[in-house]
Amino acid sequence: MASRRIRIKRKALSEAAGRRLTITVLLAPAILVILLLFMGGLITGFLRSLGYFPLIGLHDFNFNAYTAILSDNGFIRSFIITFHIAFTSTLIAGILAVASAMLLRPAFRGKRFVQFIFSLNLTIPHLVGAVGVLYLFSGSGLISRLATAAGLIDTPAGFPPMVNDPWAIGIIIQYVWKEIPFIGVIVLAILLSVGEDYESVARSLGANRWQAFRNVTLPLIMPGVVSASVIVFAFTFGAFEIPWLLGTTFPKALPVLAFESYTDVDLAARPQAMAMAMVIAFMSSLMIMAYMKLSRRYVRS
Amino acid sequence: MTQVTLSALTKQFDQKSDPAVDRLDLQIESGKLTALLGPSGCGKTTTMKMIAGLLRPTSGDISFDGQSILSIAPEDRGAVMVFQNYLLFPYMTIAENIGFGLKMRKMDRKEIRSRVKDMLDLVQLPGFEERRPRQLSGGQQQRIALARALIVQPNVLLLDEPLSNLDAHLRDEMRELIRRIQTEMAITTVFVTHDQEEAVVLADRIALLFDGRLQQFDVPDAFFDTPKSVEIAKFFGGTNFIPGFYQDSEINTSIGRFSAPHSAVGEGDAVLSIRPEAITLGANGDNSVTGTIRSHVYVGRYARFRIEIGEVEVEAVTDPGAVKMFSDGEEIPVRFDPNKIWVISPSPDVALQDGG
Amino acid sequence: MTDLKNVSADQNTELAVPVSSAGSGRRFRLRIFGRWVGITGLLTFLIAPIVPLFIWSISFRWFYPAIFPTEYSGRAWSEVINPNNDVVGVAWNTALIALVVTIFSILLGVPAGRALGLYEFRGKRLVEWLILAPIIVPGLAVVLGIHVLFIRAGLSNTIPGVILVHLVPTLPYMTLVMSGVFANYDTDFELQARSLGAGRWATQYHITLPAIFPGVVVGALFAFIISWSQYVLTLLIGGGQVQTLPLLLFGFVRSDPAIAGALSVVFILPAVLVLLLSSRYLSGDNAAVGGIGNI
Repeated sequence: MASRRIRIKRKALSEAAGRRLTITVLLAPAILVILLLFMGGLITGFLRSLGYFPLIGLHDFNFNAYTAILSDNGFIRSFIITFHIAFTSTLIAGILAVASAMLLRPAFRGKRFVQFIFSLNLTIPHLVGAVGVLYLFSGSGLISRLATAAGLIDTPAGFPPMVNDPWAIGIIIQYVWKEIPFIGVIVLAILLSVGEDYESVARSLGANRWQAFRNVTLPLIMPGVVSASVIVFAFTFGAFEIPWLLGTTFPKALPVLAFESYTDVDLAARPQAMAMAMVIAFMSSLMIMAYMKLSRRYVRS
Repeated sequence: MTQVTLSALTKQFDQKSDPAVDRLDLQIESGKLTALLGPSGCGKTTTMKMIAGLLRPTSGDISFDGQSILSIAPEDRGAVMVFQNYLLFPYMTIAENIGFGLKMRKMDRKEIRSRVKDMLDLVQLPGFEERRPRQLSGGQQQRIALARALIVQPNVLLLDEPLSNLDAHLRDEMRELIRRIQTEMAITTVFVTHDQEEAVVLADRIALLFDGRLQQFDVPDAFFDTPKSVEIAKFFGGTNFIPGFYQDSEINTSIGRFSAPHSAVGEGDAVLSIRPEAITLGANGDNSVTGTIRSHVYVGRYARFRIEIGEVEVEAVTDPGAVKMFSDGEEIPVRFDPNKIWVISPSPDVALQDGG
Repeated sequence: MTDLKNVSADQNTELAVPVSSAGSGRRFRLRIFGRWVGITGLLTFLIAPIVPLFIWSISFRWFYPAIFPTEYSGRAWSEVINPNNDVVGVAWNTALIALVVTIFSILLGVPAGRALGLYEFRGKRLVEWLILAPIIVPGLAVVLGIHVLFIRAGLSNTIPGVILVHLVPTLPYMTLVMSGVFANYDTDFELQARSLGAGRWATQYHITLPAIFPGVVVGALFAFIISWSQYVLTLLIGGGQVQTLPLLLFGFVRSDPAIAGALSVVFILPAVLVLLLSSRYLSGDNAAVGGIGNI
């Protein structure tokens, strides 16, 4: 009896060990790549931002780069415009994406076609979208031409600046254009898996269309909306090519500022570029954590 | 108390397929418990959703107390549906779930809290306010779903398969609870079920649907005693159908002539139906024929025999003692109680022609 | 049960709203109309930025304020096709990089997704955060550091270096999608197959692969497109030595709208093809798409 129990115990132990081995083998390659590239890049960047650069004889740590950028008024303004871009784009895209998903949920004629066009945007590169927005919304763009033809304006200068403008309208239009389908497809998938029955229950219990959406559907899809908008926020906060193409020369978006400092011929700007990269990483993570915490509380209450 | 009338109610989901509900006429009595019974896919849940306003009928009308309600939004109909899988809102507490309908009506919070408490007492789950749906068993969730519907004092209560997700012992409890609440509150209640036993035990009247069409609308015992078609009789457990010719209160079949005072049809081709309980083994006299016992099953509270009479085989259910009296292969007299014989039309469409 | 009487006593009459003479049909039609207005508006907004690209690509003279080009020409397209400009070669290069990135993402992401979707283990939360981190932390913030590492490792200015750095944004998506798929996957099917005599690989091929295939398609689509449209990572790590379409396009945006338009069209096409092949997995209730919503 006793020996039998021991054997069972050993078998259970080895089973647990085998399970752990399976998990390790499955995860190891992906983790390794992320540790080496992502964490490696982050740590290297952090060390450089502290002025550590053994190759050119710099072994001391200091916060010079951070004090330099944080005391620079231009950097602060860059941070504000970057936050504005990311926040506004995410908010507008999120609201419109949920609305679009609700529009596309029921069965209707031509739905397959509409859905195809909707997800088509997912595959079009950001850069192409930016070029399109530029040719559409710039002073000599298509919309400006249409406005001229309609007699609303006389010259390209009469067209309100929507590209390379201080409010980053062009950038936001591009992000909203690109991210509505991204958030929308995710929300639509969740809507379809949740089904319409909860809403029916609410309607049947006396909720009108809006009340049912607000009290029942929205809380059910909220986790998905939060996840998708986190991805969008992080992307828009750190993206480079769109503000480079559609943004102003001052203040520049943070990623543009960081990239230009990094590629500056003056090597002294390198630690500052690294410091900016760290600020982007830190602030983006911080805001996302705060947002997720807040939204979780909202869903629960 | 609300009387619900369905007139020529039809729902066709797409052009290519047959209608899910086909020209349904039904007068649901106010304050009574009515069952919509039928096999799965017969259109019963579709009918219920149309009453609740969750589906638009293709044609036809629904009226409450004589007034059409088709133009009224679901939230204003006062017809509350309780779904088969309860669908308690997962991120709300039990109290929030039950109080949902009142909150939508912008009722005062304190008032809601006190009514929620009353409802929890009513469904015998006091003190459950702060729990979450996933902490509850299926039976408890069902009660909460019921309370959530009742709190808005619906004109019509619609229950979709209220017992089908419950274990056998919980079913009895739930059945009694529904019956009790329904009688006390006198709410016009419609429930959907595929289980004829459930319909018989719970309902005042049963509407039987096959393929979206009403077959028979009657009190429960009528489906056993006077079914309108062979299909209906089969659905209610009837097993013995012998074709013949009906004339002068007698039906002439291949195994003999039986007197049959009760008939759904006039003179002509007909089917003799008799429930297994109405066949007496070993009894001579009028309406009796000779048959051979082919097999038997002892089920404890009763016994079931298969008997060959000529070229037909009938099933008889007797008290368990009969097992000791007869053996397989034995030839015995078999009597069909004339008062229990029910003559049905052989055509499956007859029931529809006289309009339910 | 005394309360019950009170409840019934004040029978709420507002529930029985009087029938309005305006039929439900009108309200219903109004809602359908509203839906179509919404859908039309949405589609217009989505398609609008693409339209000028096509027009520019075939225009010769298109000065303000003409709404359509005054003269058309195939110049931009013949430049794009001209072998001396090697646009086709660059496009091929871009596709090849994206393809290899996609394959590596599948090879690494599917097993990781399986581990995260099927098992509970100590430190799972940490692993999840680690894998999600590249999505939450913008790529530009880490690529500067990676560049420093790659210079030392001799990977900068090389195609393998570009492929590796593209894995940083693609791998998390693949893993996220697959963990969503595996969370809805029942391994008992595999055990059943094994007990019916299927070997380890036969089981993977006949049972696991078909079950997770829709998810792999969605993950691969995301990986391909992220790599295909990558700009700043390629620019920095490739150092101008590795040419891809986005880099090529960027150079022409301000200088030559016609060529930029034609390049944009070239840039869109393969992605559209990939979508055509996989759209049936993207629409509908594919658990994989919802998987992204599971951060």
